[in-house]
Amino acid sequence: MEQRLRHEAKSLLEQGKVDYIIGFEQGSLKFTTTPLITRDKDDIDRLVINPFIVNNLSVFLTEVKGRVGIVAKGCDSRSIVSLIQDNKVARENVVILGIPCPGLIDLKKIEQLVSKDRDELGDITRGGDKVVITVGGEKKEFPATEVLFDDCLSCEYPTPQEYDILLGEPSSLVCDKELSQSKIKQLEDMPPEQRWEFWEQQFSRCIRCYACRQVCPACFCQRCFVEESEPQWVSLVPQWQDNLMFQVTRIIHVAGRCTDCGECERACPVGIPLRSLTKKMEDLIDELFNYKAGMDKEAAPLMTAYEYEEAEDLIR
Amino acid sequence: MRQESKWEPKLVGFLCKWCSYAGADLAGTSRKKYPANIRIIKVPCSGRVDPLFILKALRLGFDGVLVSGCHPGECHYQTGNYRARRRITITKKFLEYMGVKPQRIQASWVSASEGGKFAEVVTEVTKELKEIGPNQLFTEQRQGHGTKATA
Repeated sequence: MEQRLRHEAKSLLEQGKVDYIIGFEQGSLKFTTTPLITRDKDDIDRLVINPFIVNNLSVFLTEVKGRVGIVAKGCDSRSIVSLIQDNKVARENVVILGIPCPGLIDLKKIEQLVSKDRDELGDITRGGDKVVITVGGEKKEFPATEVLFDDCLSCEYPTPQEYDILLGEPSSLVCDKELSQSKIKQLEDMPPEQRWEFWEQQFSRCIRCYACRQVCPACFCQRCFVEESEPQWVSLVPQWQDNLMFQVTRIIHVAGRCTDCGECERACPVGIPLRSLTKKMEDLIDELFNYKAGMDKEAAPLMTAYEYEEAEDLIR
Repeated sequence: MRQESKWEPKLVGFLCKWCSYAGADLAGTSRKKYPANIRIIKVPCSGRVDPLFILKALRLGFDGVLVSGCHPGECHYQTGNYRARRRITITKKFLEYMGVKPQRIQASWVSASEGGKFAEVVTEVTKELKEIGPNQLFTEQRQGHGTKATA
């Protein structure tokens, strides 16, 4: 797949079909990748595809001018479609190099499984539904379901829905719907006071670094409400009340564009379970308005579409 | 001597300038009685109400938020109230999931000729807010505050 990607990316640049290629290259740390944005075809050999390509690259689409070739997994392609729906990106200006995603490896899960730091691990390789980890010369085999990210295990569309070139056969990853619901269910079973208490505790750890907002492809406002000073909506002091207000407003603002890719949760340095919020929001809009983000590039965005009669039971 | 004052809910109302605000005016001129718990903010359209306003009101300690606009099909800007309907429904359901009582977020359609309905809505909403008690979501005196909640 990697060779094919390099070949396609190179010919796209050579033929002048795109000005830029956005993809992944090896990161500076072990088992990491970092985004590669380039217009130089000599850089193309640095492109990689491995089980650690976590970032949602569509966040860069609105920042790069011109035509772009972009590497996209299933979740990323939905974010791209959602950007097209919002007229942030023109379809003819993107060449989507789709990756049928077999699921990405969660290093934190591996560290827990083998109780070793990631620097002490020799190698991690994926083969089918098994992952082989080399620790101190010794090979250990684990089922993939134990080491993949939760959001990958509960992913409904691992193969891109929208693409120009699909690099491989459609993914055989099976969606575990119960897993995605289990955390939400746990919260819903609590009395409301306890739920609020739970979120107070989570958001008292928030340091308001805004990493969640920066990595989010749906958060494309030129000026975010938290930075407005007249009126100042949210206090700049990271106290839980304002942290909570920031995050809740952010998630409501991106409703209908958020594809639950899980980037915010992965980016969070203090580990706030943001997917328990984004997943719920996704379910809510599906249930209320029968809308799924990033599925149909021709569809009107959630917040501009309407039916004459809907959701009337909540209104007096 | 300090007098023990009875708690009264504070309600903020975002009223659309074309329908509900005029409806509230009519309630006044036709001498309809409704609780003085509502503080009215005039907005150009119910579609102007950002979920951020609702959260800010709760953060400031208001006990409830009422968003009121024109009936479906009667929006001065054609589609503003449809958009408001989607936003407010999502906000209400989502905050309910987080642990906010759904009664705190209210919406109604009140036209310029429905002074009576406006008075009714405010009366009902105020009654519901009295039942659920003061908004202590963002305070430390909240019931159950400091208990360990895990999930």
